[in-house]
Amino acid sequence: MSDGTSRDTHNQNQDGTIGADHSPETTRANRPGETYVGSSPATDTDQRSEGAAHVQELKPETDDAGWGRDLFFAEDLQQHPAVRVLNEQLPDAILDVIRFRNETTIHVRPELYREACRVLRDDQRVELNFLTDVTAVDMLRLRTSPRFDVVAMLYSLRNRVRLRIKAGVNDGQSLPSLVPLWNGANWLEREVYDMFGIIFEGHPNLTRILLPDDWDEGHPLRKDYPVRGWKEFPVYNTERTVPRLRTRWTGRGV
Amino acid sequence: MASATGRSASDDIKAIESSPYGKPGEVISETTAPTGTLSITDEEILPSGERTMTLNMGPQHPSTHGVMRVLLKLDGEMIVECDPVIGYLHRGTEKLGEIKRYAQITPWTDRTDYVSAPLNNLGYVLAVEKLCGIEAPERAQYWRVIMGELARIASHLVWLGTHALDIGALSMSLYCFREREIILDIFETFCGARLTTNMMEIGGFSRPLPDGLVEQVRNFVRIFPERQKEYDALLTANPIWMARTKGVGIISPEAAISYSLTGACLRGSGINYDVRKAEPYLVYDRLDFEVPLGEHGDTFDRYLVRMEEMRQSIRIIDQALNHVEKMDTPLMAWDSPYVIPPHKGTMTTAEDMQRHFIWTIKGFNPPVGEVWQSIEQSKGELGYYIVSDGGPMPYRFRIRTPDFVNLQVLPHMAQGAMLADAVALIGTIDIVLGSVDR
Repeated sequence: MSDGTSRDTHNQNQDGTIGADHSPETTRANRPGETYVGSSPATDTDQRSEGAAHVQELKPETDDAGWGRDLFFAEDLQQHPAVRVLNEQLPDAILDVIRFRNETTIHVRPELYREACRVLRDDQRVELNFLTDVTAVDMLRLRTSPRFDVVAMLYSLRNRVRLRIKAGVNDGQSLPSLVPLWNGANWLEREVYDMFGIIFEGHPNLTRILLPDDWDEGHPLRKDYPVRGWKEFPVYNTERTVPRLRTRWTGRGV
Repeated sequence: MASATGRSASDDIKAIESSPYGKPGEVISETTAPTGTLSITDEEILPSGERTMTLNMGPQHPSTHGVMRVLLKLDGEMIVECDPVIGYLHRGTEKLGEIKRYAQITPWTDRTDYVSAPLNNLGYVLAVEKLCGIEAPERAQYWRVIMGELARIASHLVWLGTHALDIGALSMSLYCFREREIILDIFETFCGARLTTNMMEIGGFSRPLPDGLVEQVRNFVRIFPERQKEYDALLTANPIWMARTKGVGIISPEAAISYSLTGACLRGSGINYDVRKAEPYLVYDRLDFEVPLGEHGDTFDRYLVRMEEMRQSIRIIDQALNHVEKMDTPLMAWDSPYVIPPHKGTMTTAEDMQRHFIWTIKGFNPPVGEVWQSIEQSKGELGYYIVSDGGPMPYRFRIRTPDFVNLQVLPHMAQGAMLADAVALIGTIDIVLGSVDR
């Protein structure tokens, strides 16, 4: 298991997450001068060779079954593979599909938000398996209802395409959390809660993250939150202690 | 005889006689020896009867690279639970972005990740250019690549120096900062600032390049590979370094994807995702470079990945310089209404001055829509999400910083690790708290 250094006790733990096989023969550092560049160095003996399944070639542009990568950028939005997959598996989910600057946005029903993400993640034809970002937009000045758009940016490591999933929620309405699908959604959703006050159902620890725990002034990225906050701050230096200079040009102070 | 401090010799003698250790020269027997109060048994380690102890690391701990607090629950020396507490440096950059005009936001992006400010500028101006539908000229794109890669090297040098410093290699920080100084000098020549550069502009570069810049960059490209061999000689085969980093903080590829890691944390686990290759922006599709990948996903692999990234950056800079050295085309997309009008003539003709003044004061109105632009920053994938309602200020300005997302993996890595490895784990994620808290 170990190379006999002080890592012995460290390598043996319960869940096996800590403790790599660094035997001296296979240590790269013992072969100085060898460049450490390569696309997929995982070997058969590597205990994590299954991880190499994620390192794959790009899909061909045109697929036999009609699921090529170029369809993600097709003019006809109904040909987009994610739209087709969602229509097939969750027929009521899609509300709207928008394309702007070659980026596709799919508006889904808020109650089917997590299911839609799960379908897009697990379906082998689109395989949007990487969660880049979760954020929200306060649409207060742009429309009446729903008030917020929760935005999830998905990415496919194999197809090299992005997709934006949007779900509209009103104030006080909750949205299913993405944490069961991706651990990375944890802090991102906490930040959305902190900044917008949107509740995510099923989140393990939905507390404030960037603001203090006892912050009682609301959620700052809402559009009705003033930039300087709600509290009155004392104003200093209102009285001038040095007299103004009179300039030759204007005759008044500068 | 009274001494200068007011204490006489007899006071000292009295103190010695009354001490529990006995008088000088006295033989201390078993019975007179003082007994300590420290006695630890396995059954009762703490007064509360619990086995675990909570330790508060930070927010002023030097190894947290800023103001971050880590709550550690310890069983002896082993970390049972780890909870990072952030937000001490939160300045509300996203809220500020909603009340600033597009060209005014660029300096705010400097302040997020302040050790690689040009890359933050780059991501932002690319997002605005995508929103407006304009593109910088080829020569400006090459110079953006050069400055971005220099910033990547500078950021990696700060990471390497502080990471090695945390683990115990004190001299590494001195060598790393020596080379970083050269890069900062290049930035100073280029734009006048060293840390918060505000270097990139929407549409390219509005000012001509200074004299001697190419020679300065060439000089750096010439000397840096030699210097990097020194780091290799100091660290890579160092037994202490290997003992402190190998097998520490292992992230499996599945966990890396699940935690949305990007950058060297993801590539150290063997997953080939680099935005420069996956979605080439600027002129990266014309440049020849490779993406290093790790095998085991531990701290040592991430170290090797970042070291190799620096070598690849030097390759990129060298190629880009060869392309751009003799180029004499404009640096700015002057035809577009979204870029700043030329400075030339502002002091001599009224029309030029008015145009410049109005653009600066009123800004410009981009089309209605929303864009996402991500670039490969030194720490991972940096994304800017801009929602425009057609006004001169963004309706929503979102920064997806890589280290905020990457830091989530710390509890996963620290579970079952030793307390002494906590600093190595924080260092290997490569965080800057200005970027985490924004």
